[in-house]
Amino acid sequence: MGNKVRLGFVPLVDCAIPVVARAMGFADQENIELELVREMSWAAIRDKLSYGVYEAAHLLAGIPIAARLGLGGVPVQHLVVPMALGRGGNAITVSTRLYQRMLEADPAAMHGPRGLSARALKKVIDEDRASGRPVMSFATVFPFSSHNYELRYWMAAAGIDPDRDVNIGVIAPQRMFDSLRNGWVDGYCVGEPWNQRAVFHGDGVIVALKDDIWSRSPEKVLGVRQDWVDSNPDTVSALVCALVRAAEWADEPGNRAELAQMLSEESNVGAPYDVLKASLDGRPVLRPGEAPIEVPDRHVFYRYTATFPWLSQASWVGAQMKRWGQVPANTDLNQVIRQVYRPDLYRTAVKGLDVAVPAHDWRVEGTNGAEDRAFVGPDSFLDNSVFDPELG
Amino acid sequence: MVRTEDFNILVIDEDPDRAAIVERGLVESGYTRVARIGTSHNLVERIQALAPDIIIIDLENPDRDTLEQMFQVSRAIARPIAMFVDKSDSSMIHEAVAAGVSAYVVDGLREDRIRPIVEMAISRFNVFDQLRRERDEAKAKLNERKLIERAKGILMKEKGLTEEDSYNLLRKNAMKQNRKIYEIAQSVITAFQLEF
Repeated sequence: MGNKVRLGFVPLVDCAIPVVARAMGFADQENIELELVREMSWAAIRDKLSYGVYEAAHLLAGIPIAARLGLGGVPVQHLVVPMALGRGGNAITVSTRLYQRMLEADPAAMHGPRGLSARALKKVIDEDRASGRPVMSFATVFPFSSHNYELRYWMAAAGIDPDRDVNIGVIAPQRMFDSLRNGWVDGYCVGEPWNQRAVFHGDGVIVALKDDIWSRSPEKVLGVRQDWVDSNPDTVSALVCALVRAAEWADEPGNRAELAQMLSEESNVGAPYDVLKASLDGRPVLRPGEAPIEVPDRHVFYRYTATFPWLSQASWVGAQMKRWGQVPANTDLNQVIRQVYRPDLYRTAVKGLDVAVPAHDWRVEGTNGAEDRAFVGPDSFLDNSVFDPELG
Repeated sequence: MVRTEDFNILVIDEDPDRAAIVERGLVESGYTRVARIGTSHNLVERIQALAPDIIIIDLENPDRDTLEQMFQVSRAIARPIAMFVDKSDSSMIHEAVAAGVSAYVVDGLREDRIRPIVEMAISRFNVFDQLRRERDEAKAKLNERKLIERAKGILMKEKGLTEEDSYNLLRKNAMKQNRKIYEIAQSVITAFQLEF
């Protein structure tokens, strides 16, 4: 009899790690009876984890921090993060109509680095304001999502005030595509396959990839309850091992076709195979009808320490919470981050496995070209800034 | 101070049948100002127009993500909170989660005034669940009976058996193979479909 672990996930490409852990037997090998349950809402998955319906969950990097702080009028929950579930996969997609306007307003910006494409959006916003048009609407998937912080970072770098110059709302991932199609939003930031889907249908254009904004930006994490960790330390370790092994498998280019097949099943992501395959192969199509471009790090599951719960990435999320007024600027988040993100649990779990772990739990982020580049991967912010988490 | 029955209650549910059951329960208990909406792309505007004191929404509804964002940024309307923040009553929250109910209430409303509303929603969700289970079971039973009837018809036509003998043959095989009669019936139907 294995240890039963019920894990809730949201249908996105980055649910790959738990899906592979179950399907390819990595969970069985660790004596874990892994049951996967698909959820359609981040609030639902958070509540079901918090109140014991699940032992583990695929969560947005910011949710466990927000839960520990009791943000958003939700009771305080003691969730912890023993590992990350890969990164990559997000993009900013705008309607084909808005894309045309951006192209006309600032062709130079639209042909320059994608991270700076918001400069064209700024011009469109200025035009709208001059002619008295209502502000445009954008959507992300949750208030405490990397998507929200990436969209805002991209806009703010071009001089757009995301709280004043546009409306930013929240729409669940699987509803994004319809919302764009029906003209309810002008653009969104979401994980794959919901960007590729809009492009394949001719309804949207990708104007920036997560890589273009900050390549090492954190994405999904494994969330568990503190009390469950305290009473089941061995199961936590076994679960982390199984998921790390699954991540390694999912990262192999030779396994990506099989992975796309697996994810296309209705009980997993339930999106068309070719949409998933294009994304997983790192060959996204940015504009309808065009040839794919090469982005080898579009989905990173294992390499570049993509499963390590870096304190500095959590700290960046915390800094964005402050920047956008979700927490008061004088809040001391370092202690909270150390309670929630637990690289020690990761280190204990993978001890004895052939898994390379960083020497420290945090680093100065945005230092592309630093000595650890081969190990942690490309690391640039779109504005070449450097983020010092000051965790020392 | 509003009287209890003056609360504006909003029920949001993608399942109109369940929403109707919850609404009726609340109205019958004296809460007259109950509105309900299904999936809606202008959710935020509609909620602002209705200005609810309490929102009852099914736990798994993707609109919850939208709602929580709206509560966070909203300055125009009173800021709602998830049910019983900082209240010690976790048994009710567990009960609500198990039943698939979530609730948001305007901050400052007393727990004893919210409790009967949430309790009503939980009990109605449970009733609905029970009804749905019974309906599904009845449907399944009906389908099983149909399969057996069809298999009997095939045996009567193809093997020249009487209705009673056809049924007995199905039953005998079911017992022998330790399977349900409708499963044997399904095999008979499949076998004859393959042949012709």
